[in-house]
Amino acid sequence: MAKKEHENNDEFRPNGTIAILVIFVITTILIWGTIYMILISRGSTI
Amino acid sequence: MSAQPMHIHPYERNWMVFSAVMLVLFATAVSVAAFGMGIQVPAPEQRVDPRIVATDPNSPWSNPGLREVSPGKYDAYILAHAIPVWEYLPKEITVPAGSSVSFYVTSSDVQHGFKIQDTNANFMVIPGQVSKLTIKFNKPGTYNYICTEYCGSGHGIMYGAIIVTP
Amino acid sequence: MKQYQLSTGEKKFIGSHLLVAILALSVGSLFGPLQAFEHAGWDIYPYIKPLIKSYYQGLTVHGVLNALVWTTFFIMGFLTFNVMFGLKRPLKNPTLNKVGFWLMVVGVVAAAIPILANQATVLFTFYPPLKANWAFYLGLTLVVVGSWVEGWGLFMTYFAWRKENPKELTPFIAFASLVTALLWQICTIGVATEILTMLLPWSLGLIAGVDPQLARTYFWFTGHPLVYFWILPAYISWYAMLPKQAGNGKMFSDSLARLSFWIFLVLSTPLGFHHQYVDPGIPPVWKFIHSMLTFSVFFPSMMTAFTVIASLEHAGRKNGGKGTFAWIGKLNWSDPSVAAQLLAGILFFFGGIGGLANASYNVNLVLHNTAFIPGHFHLTVATAVTLSFMGISYWLLPYLTGKKLWMPKLAVAQAWIWFVGMIIFSNAMHVLGLLGAPRRVPLGLAPYVPPEWNSRLFQVGVGGAILFVSGACYLTVMLMTALSKETVKEEVEVPVAESMQDLALTPVWLDRWAPWIYGALALIVLVYGPVLFDLIKNIALTSPGFRVW
Repeated sequence: MAKKEHENNDEFRPNGTIAILVIFVITTILIWGTIYMILISRGSTI
Repeated sequence: MSAQPMHIHPYERNWMVFSAVMLVLFATAVSVAAFGMGIQVPAPEQRVDPRIVATDPNSPWSNPGLREVSPGKYDAYILAHAIPVWEYLPKEITVPAGSSVSFYVTSSDVQHGFKIQDTNANFMVIPGQVSKLTIKFNKPGTYNYICTEYCGSGHGIMYGAIIVTP
Repeated sequence: MKQYQLSTGEKKFIGSHLLVAILALSVGSLFGPLQAFEHAGWDIYPYIKPLIKSYYQGLTVHGVLNALVWTTFFIMGFLTFNVMFGLKRPLKNPTLNKVGFWLMVVGVVAAAIPILANQATVLFTFYPPLKANWAFYLGLTLVVVGSWVEGWGLFMTYFAWRKENPKELTPFIAFASLVTALLWQICTIGVATEILTMLLPWSLGLIAGVDPQLARTYFWFTGHPLVYFWILPAYISWYAMLPKQAGNGKMFSDSLARLSFWIFLVLSTPLGFHHQYVDPGIPPVWKFIHSMLTFSVFFPSMMTAFTVIASLEHAGRKNGGKGTFAWIGKLNWSDPSVAAQLLAGILFFFGGIGGLANASYNVNLVLHNTAFIPGHFHLTVATAVTLSFMGISYWLLPYLTGKKLWMPKLAVAQAWIWFVGMIIFSNAMHVLGLLGAPRRVPLGLAPYVPPEWNSRLFQVGVGGAILFVSGACYLTVMLMTALSKETVKEEVEVPVAESMQDLALTPVWLDRWAPWIYGALALIVLVYGPVLFDLIKNIALTSPGFRVW
């Protein structure tokens, strides 16, 4: 069984995961931002 | 199971903080548009009886169309219906560029939608309720208003137009 | 170590869920390409008129069978499997679960008859005052009630297990399945109220009219958590099964996975107004509150993205993958179950982005009821969910039948074809929506289509055709596997990933049910109560029914 009393996930460094998620966030901001700009350019509704 | 606090990997902790910040930024942008720039969603306006809304002489929708309330400001009463045919009344509205038009739209039968192309006017039309938004038309041209909710076989042919003259 | 085994009878029971699900998907998917072709201007409906009267009847069949029947049956079967396998015990009261299953089957038949007779062409949202034949509403009620009864059977099984194992942490796949079943019980109160207090008595002639705004509000009480009912079973597989299949990876964070399921339970119902931002009868302040809660429920999905990808990275590195991205290529892409779920997950990124835009309060003014919406939900329910379920069935069917999967290479190709077809279809639909094209319209025939939509409409048709090919491949693989004489040599292994964290470290409060349930109910009362109270107080049953199809 495990040598340490409690095994944890600290030793695993998921650098690829961070890279993928950064790409995801940039894409999200770009797409969401584009739609938001369409909204803003069309102006007030009240 | 443990009575200890939850262990979170440092990468994941950072990601959670970062996600929360991103969501707060989106929420802020939305709030600025809503409360700072007046880009709002419809609010409860008025309840009507859909059975008589198109026929009762006291109902503005018995005589749908455009009313000028002050120079450059209009109220447009629009009736959406599927019976006898799928259409909006009136089918066409003409206003000069620079006009601000408040749309009051209701239905005398099933649910419809109302979306004016290239503007922020896009809302549900629900029998018994009146939907209202106000749009300023600066650029001359033809703006179609189309039905965006399934209302029977003629849903796809249901539209009208706003003509903005120079 | 030998895995816990289900009995033949139990496998048959799960298998019958799968059978109904796949039958529904087969029929429902026949109409998918027809909708897409209408967009491109290829009108096939006149040729099938004796059978199906209109585009909208076809669209109703497509929506009801694919979004409601395929999903619900697959999910109830999968959750039942997970509870038994996870808890390593049979159902406490198998008869109860069988009763639930048969109620659902009777419900589907009852709803299908009026749909096929063109007496219920109301689409899968059935907004009144479009009025379907009463059997349609009764059928839907039976499906929901049947799924409740099956859910009760799962909870009783859990209670029995808990009595036998008072100190043990609930195994993850059972835990997550029970939370999903519970979420469904809570959120379906909305649609049940809509049907039982308004639509059913109205369709039977007992009341003269309905209140369409109130009906919509009940509907969307269920309508958004419904999408979590769809996606959470896929999450269960992505969290706890896919890392194992992809390369013997371990689940990165057991505690956070559990926490995200609890957040889903608490937050997925009290935000239904984000489907009603542009409804006239709901005060904007409540719509705004629901929009903030919607942003909050995005958070556990972000957590899920991290844990799932990190677990996959673990698998990829175990397979010898190096570099920042190169490990992705080392996942077991040749396993159709893995390929389907990975591709489903990739497209879910874009589904999530679109969903965030839809949910962003006034941003919805740009998107509401445009083609963007079906573009969006074909990435979520029709890909993240459906393609994942297809992937799951690539190991589940062999497990249940003992038959070898027929032509795994075709199954891998099927997943890729779906992926490509969906990119073409869904991208075109999103763009059309941004250009202003409405949903639920055979745009090839609409009088107001500007020329700049045409190339995109063509792509919708092409995408639909490719998806149809993929659907046909899926059914062929399923059918040939079921009919095959070739059996598997050993028992098919159920893929369950181990936890990377010692489970002894999972905090005890993540296995306590009451606080989360109270929290969920309290939040619902808080953010739905005032608006529903007002709508019910001012109820106006003034809309008679219309049959305008």
